[in-house]
Amino acid sequence: MEDVTTSAEQRPSPNGGSGASPAVQAAGLVKHYTSRNETVEAVRGVDLRVEAGEVFGFLGPNGAGKSTTVKMLTTLLSITSGSATVAGVDVASEPDEVRRRIGVALQEAGLAPRQTGRELLHLQARLFGLSAHEAAERTDQLLALVELENAADRSIKGYSGGMKRRLDLATALVHAPEVLFLDEPTTGLDPASRLTVWDEVRRINERGTTVFLTTQYLEEADQLCDRLAIIDDGRIVRDGTPAGLKADLRERRSLARDPTLDDVFLDATGRTRDRVAGEVQEVSG
Amino acid sequence: MTQAWLLGQRALREGLRTPDALLPTLFIPLFFLVVNVGQAAKIFPGDTTAFLHGQGYGAFQLPSSLLLAASFGTAALFLVEEIEGGYFDKLRATPIPRSAIVLGRLIAESVKGLLIATALVVLGLIFGISIASGIAGFVLLVVLTALWAVVFSGFMQLIALKTRSAAATNSGSLVFFPLLFLTPNFVPRDLLTRPMEIAATFNPVTYVMEAMRSLILEDLVWGDILPGFAVVAVAGAAMLALNVRIIERYD
Repeated sequence: MEDVTTSAEQRPSPNGGSGASPAVQAAGLVKHYTSRNETVEAVRGVDLRVEAGEVFGFLGPNGAGKSTTVKMLTTLLSITSGSATVAGVDVASEPDEVRRRIGVALQEAGLAPRQTGRELLHLQARLFGLSAHEAAERTDQLLALVELENAADRSIKGYSGGMKRRLDLATALVHAPEVLFLDEPTTGLDPASRLTVWDEVRRINERGTTVFLTTQYLEEADQLCDRLAIIDDGRIVRDGTPAGLKADLRERRSLARDPTLDDVFLDATGRTRDRVAGEVQEVSG
Repeated sequence: MTQAWLLGQRALREGLRTPDALLPTLFIPLFFLVVNVGQAAKIFPGDTTAFLHGQGYGAFQLPSSLLLAASFGTAALFLVEEIEGGYFDKLRATPIPRSAIVLGRLIAESVKGLLIATALVVLGLIFGISIASGIAGFVLLVVLTALWAVVFSGFMQLIALKTRSAAATNSGSLVFFPLLFLTPNFVPRDLLTRPMEIAATFNPVTYVMEAMRSLILEDLVWGDILPGFAVVAVAGAAMLALNVRIIERYD
């Protein structure tokens, strides 16, 4: 695979390159959806701190508030109350500056189906301010990175699910973001495609990009994440390193064996294996 | 503006790659032109009907078909598809002005409007309609049609952004039919019944239609032409402002 020359670590930080500010910080983040009849509290006061260079996992059952939190952090949803900074920039007051510093690949691979992969990447690069020549070069680099060179000039409509995911990931990288948000990037993928995405995430992180990853797959979090937080019913119920969370559970419950991340998750969310069936899935790498 | 043009080019590529969505835009207005002329041409013979200025009834009907063609834009339905598929959020996560996201599709609609209007007028010319205001009138006619396409697409985009539903957006397009038929569609305004005349006078589409008709049937009569351009200018500005407002508050 080809190397991508521009990396997040080569770019100056917004605070003059001190590197001291966290990649993501949220304090008391709240999101309410108000309709005519009711107010739904999707996120109820989330506090987060993600250090630069980490792969941070954000776990939770369906409807726990993962995607809503990501959408607030990526400027796609307004914040009801609380505050958040990404790459040292305030999300609510400087959304455009945040957008310049982040890459976003959401749950649905957001692609324009009637374009080719090359056209889409080129357009995305141009929207982030690259010249036509720079955009063409960057497009070639990214197509190589996600191994889509042979399909580059085919309509995206004909891509497989795995190809669409990889292209989506590439579109999030056109401007070498400091922080990459991946919202359930492997949902619906076959095991081989899932492993390819995992490799990409590791490679991207090795180049200095902080990765904020939401997932329902506990093994994915175990494999990829330096630290993680578990959200349930709009609140963070656990956070720490995977090893630390397991050790804590073993100590608290005086378990005879080492618990898995599944056990940590079930303990944190108060679910049983029966109740959680269909909400959280285990995968084998 | 660069970003809007880039997004406009993308929307144009999209349009060219879906000819099945473009063809009805040409075919249905032609169908209405042929049917309406077939039904009323004998009632209004060209040589004895003063309001036809010596032309056939097809020349009088051409503006209705141009307006209909310009109101068949697919931009809003493609927008709903993008909202549902997630590409709209991908665009919102880029650091481009929100107005560029709106303008991109409207630019594409204006180009499509120019091409479709040109095709319809050229077909009209082949079948004996002439543009009495000459080359300048021809240009003004297709530009006015394209501007109306932008206005109506802007309105449809508003529905798409508000409802995020293909079904609701499709239904919204039906609003054009009362707008088109509450006009001096078959006869000049002074020949309408009093209630119909009042309704047509309050309908802004009337002034666009009369401007088009004037360009086809008469020399450059600015008193008829300018109100049409004023309507599309005001309505276009309003649609753009409302679209930007709704996209900025999009949650």
